[in-house]
Amino acid sequence: MALSNTIYNAVFKRNSVFVSTIFIGAFAFGIGFDTGVQKFWDSYNKGKQWKDIRGKYVQES
Amino acid sequence: MASFKALKTAVSLAPTVRALPSGIPHAPLLNLAVRAPHDAHDHGHGVEARSDVAPRWASGPSKVGSQLYSKTFASASPTLNHQQRFMHTSVSVKNANEVPDFSAYRTSNPDGNRALSYFMVGSMGVISASAAKSSISEFLQTMAASADVLALAKVEVDLASIPEGKNVIIKWRGKPVFIRHRTPGEIEEARQTDWKTLRDPESDDARVKKPEWLVMLGVCTHLGCVPIGEAGDYGGWFCPCHGSHYDISGRIRKGPAPLNLEVPAYEFSEADEKLVIG
Repeated sequence: MALSNTIYNAVFKRNSVFVSTIFIGAFAFGIGFDTGVQKFWDSYNKGKQWKDIRGKYVQES
Repeated sequence: MASFKALKTAVSLAPTVRALPSGIPHAPLLNLAVRAPHDAHDHGHGVEARSDVAPRWASGPSKVGSQLYSKTFASASPTLNHQQRFMHTSVSVKNANEVPDFSAYRTSNPDGNRALSYFMVGSMGVISASAAKSSISEFLQTMAASADVLALAKVEVDLASIPEGKNVIIKWRGKPVFIRHRTPGEIEEARQTDWKTLRDPESDDARVKKPEWLVMLGVCTHLGCVPIGEAGDYGGWFCPCHGSHYDISGRIRKGPAPLNLEVPAYEFSEADEKLVIG
């Protein structure tokens, strides 16, 4: 398997690379997770939140 | 003449023996290691010679006098059964050096398995690190000020009500805040000052966001008195407590105060009609 060998040599072979990849991945995962949950929440509560109904009550002067 | 027959039979009972510490009766004449005489294998079909047991005349224990003897004659014929049993339920004994064939259990893809194992370990690490970071940041956010406290900490000022060349003092977080609507002449004066030679060198541009509006905390940097506006030698503020003079940009020019009047965080909103401090 060429692909698995490539991944192994690129990421897993050196522990320093492995650990830093984990930390960077955790950072990216946190951002992505938060964004995804926020999107789901907004779509689930569509039309109920203030930012959805603000236009009905506030006229920009 | 009737013969007399004694009814009484003399029996010599063995003396009571003492026991060894192991609990076995102490019987020095008895050889406990000797094999018991083979019983006649009596199942009702009479005594027959067994092929798997040595006959009595060949070997075996015998009683001579009061002692047991176990004797095996060297010329005794072999008595074991040499017929091989071909039907049995036990596992056939294999050569111990023969290694089983594990090739059926071996993977055909060791590299992929290695990469997958490390990937699973790494994924676990990613999720754990993310959870730890999230826990810590959420915990630290509980120490931050809540939204109502932050809302109370802001003060909104309507700038349209302050004419040019006038001071306004408002209260913000328990402290006075000076707001001065400066005239163009005052702005020019504040800018022309050679601020690099001052005690606390700071340019006028660094102290204001819009030159006509000067916003600063009304607390003297010396000992915390409230300076008086439009007073002092430099046309700015004068602290009556110990005589510190501030210029029209709020910079210390004369007196004991070490620093310029502090500028709070503020911003203009709603088309520059309002000033929000905090």
